[in-house]
Amino acid sequence: MISRTKAAYAYIVARTKVMKSKLLKPEDFRKLLNMSFDEVMRFLEETEYKKEIDEMAYKFSGPKLLDYALFSNLAKTYRKIYTVSFGDAKILIGQYLRRWDVWNLINIIRGKNANLPAEIVEETLVPAGEFSFEILHSMFSKELNELIKELEGTIYSEALSKIGSAPMNLIEDELWKAYYKALLSVKANDFESRVFTNFVRMEIDLRNIKTILRLKAEGDTAEEIIARIVPGGYELTEEEARKLATMSFEEIIKSLEGFWFWKISTIQDLGRAEIELDKIWIEAIARRAGNYPLSVLPVLQYIVLKKVEVDDLRILGWGKWHGIPNEEIEKEMVII
Amino acid sequence: MVETALIESEAFIKGCAAIGAGLAVGLAGIGAGAGESGIGAAAVGAIAEDRGFLGLGLLFTVIPETIVIFGLVISLILMFAY
Repeated sequence: MISRTKAAYAYIVARTKVMKSKLLKPEDFRKLLNMSFDEVMRFLEETEYKKEIDEMAYKFSGPKLLDYALFSNLAKTYRKIYTVSFGDAKILIGQYLRRWDVWNLINIIRGKNANLPAEIVEETLVPAGEFSFEILHSMFSKELNELIKELEGTIYSEALSKIGSAPMNLIEDELWKAYYKALLSVKANDFESRVFTNFVRMEIDLRNIKTILRLKAEGDTAEEIIARIVPGGYELTEEEARKLATMSFEEIIKSLEGFWFWKISTIQDLGRAEIELDKIWIEAIARRAGNYPLSVLPVLQYIVLKKVEVDDLRILGWGKWHGIPNEEIEKEMVII
Repeated sequence: MVETALIESEAFIKGCAAIGAGLAVGLAGIGAGAGESGIGAAAVGAIAEDRGFLGLGLLFTVIPETIVIFGLVISLILMFAY
């Protein structure tokens, strides 16, 4: 049984390692930065995104085509990882990918609230979680109360029941909290559970510190910040986060010294600081994945890196399309 | 009487050697199989993504087989020495 579990991980880890080797390298991004938008698209047509670009080139053009190709490829890649994995790995990967269900649900609710046409909302959907594109499409065609009824009994039902009585940002936070709560209660064998939950807890740390810094910079009150904190952090526990929420911005920066994610001395630009935090996160995952090669961590590392690549390409594409200088575009990208 | 005892003891030694030979190959085979399970799974995973890994994957998969060759040598020695 032990060797079967190890073999399951050896298989999926080897697959994702090969997939990781096909991700764009930092030097590719530097090359892309010196290209025009059309040249970027031509470059991408020689990569993993070719099929998606060719598929929708008749319908979309410009950065919309890029967005469509990137999101479809992201969903396809994630679904593939889930499909080819088995055993504990499948359970853990499936649970982690449910973040896209939250993303899709938020987009559907936002789209319905803003009375957006189905085509616009569907462009933003990434059916990489439990809900397929068909299910998401049928969700969008329903009334909000029908949707809430349909999702009764799921981890999202409590958050969704507040629609109409609470602001949308609170419902979004509740959905994310429900997602992380479900992730932290996933049952696998002891070693797997420990490795996976530590990864999730570290991600919660990062999410919370970004929330605290952003809201503090916007001048939100401590209560407003506390309400948005996701419980279950790794080093930044709920209690610590509550303490930070009551401090001033400068005090927070001082208090963060010593936390695993804090290697920034001063913050001049919050956006840059968030990018730095993302880089620290990616380095931390790489270290952990190296320490536990036969675990779910190398797969999660790939899942994170793929998302970072897609985000970088979107920033690059839209930046090029709007004629933003290369230095500005590069500053917004997470290149490691 | 002595002759019968000698024949019996020779038969016993031959029998033990045969069991030893069987164990040498059998246990080495089980060990190699256990080792290969992970390597084989990883090789199949890598090949599924990129066919270029076929040669390297096969090579790594058969490396634990060398231990079976050692087992086989021991078993042949046992079979022919006694």
